Amino acid sequence: MIRVAAVGDIHMGPDTRGVLRPAFDTLPECADLLLLAGDLTRHGTTDEAQVVADEIRGLGVPVVAVLGNHDHHDDRQDEVSELLRDAGAHVLEGEATVLAVGDARVGVAGTKGFGGGFVGASAGEFGEPVMKEFVRVSRRCADGLRTALERLAQEDCDVRIALTHYSPVPETLAGEPPEIYPFLGSYLLAEAIDTAGADLAVHGHAHAGSEHGMTTGGVKVRNVAQPVIGRAFHVYHLPLRERVGADAV
Amino acid sequence: MNTHDAGPEYRVAHFQDRLASGELGELGVHAEVRGGAVLVTGTVPSARCRDKVLEVVREELGGLDVHCDLVVSESSSPDHAEELS
Repeated sequence: MIRVAAVGDIHMGPDTRGVLRPAFDTLPECADLLLLAGDLTRHGTTDEAQVVADEIRGLGVPVVAVLGNHDHHDDRQDEVSELLRDAGAHVLEGEATVLAVGDARVGVAGTKGFGGGFVGASAGEFGEPVMKEFVRVSRRCADGLRTALERLAQEDCDVRIALTHYSPVPETLAGEPPEIYPFLGSYLLAEAIDTAGADLAVHGHAHAGSEHGMTTGGVKVRNVAQPVIGRAFHVYHLPLRERVGADAV
Repeated sequence: MNTHDAGPEYRVAHFQDRLASGELGELGVHAEVRGGAVLVTGTVPSARCRDKVLEVVREELGGLDVHCDLVVSESSSPDHAEELS
């Protein structure tokens, strides 16, 4: 079993320095890794990112993060990522990382993702340049996620997790106004997850959404935005698939 | 030219715009007109943020009947895990 802790949308700033650390210090007792599903800051400033970095430094479990839209607001996303990496986090954008948990290999593929909406009510790549670019950005993020998950499939991972900020499914948005769903996620992310395969998908972004959902292909989706889970993080126990090999016959 | 009292809708929209683009960068607070009042709800990261939102409420929605239900994020450890099959 792999114990996955996850939270998103912690929106840290100088006035919340140290608030999450007491809970994070309990992670080694209850989790094997911590996933951060974006919107770690409020405006994406380096001052706010430093607060996050200090909060996660030396936690005792590996930390894997994606950025969110708030972390891009100040146009310093590269510096934000670097500060988090300096604190020991794996920061993913169209990339994957493999973590050793005991004898198991846990693969995490991540992207911020973007909006565009869901099947039957989605934006198309048509019209004004800004509209076409909107959809292209979403497609690029989804392609990056699919490629990263496919790479993990070749790396003999026992568990594969898709980590995004935007939602791959509408179910975990329930509670948000339906009119803004196209700004909260994209079916392209779910299509990438179902095409490449994953054992769990984790996202944030939708503060008024719901925790539980599933892709059309049957991959469980969890919205871990802090206002949704009402905790410093939630923990999910993922079973390990039995390995089929020569020594198992 | 006719002018009309447009009611509170535009002021509510401007209130949300200011929360998003101002010092707070707050997209998680919802405001809606319900009956004759404005309902402001959401979860914010700190008590300071809640005070700031209430300040913007006073500045942007002054004179309107406003009901606020703003919660500060809970930062305690979970008391159980979810078993995924």
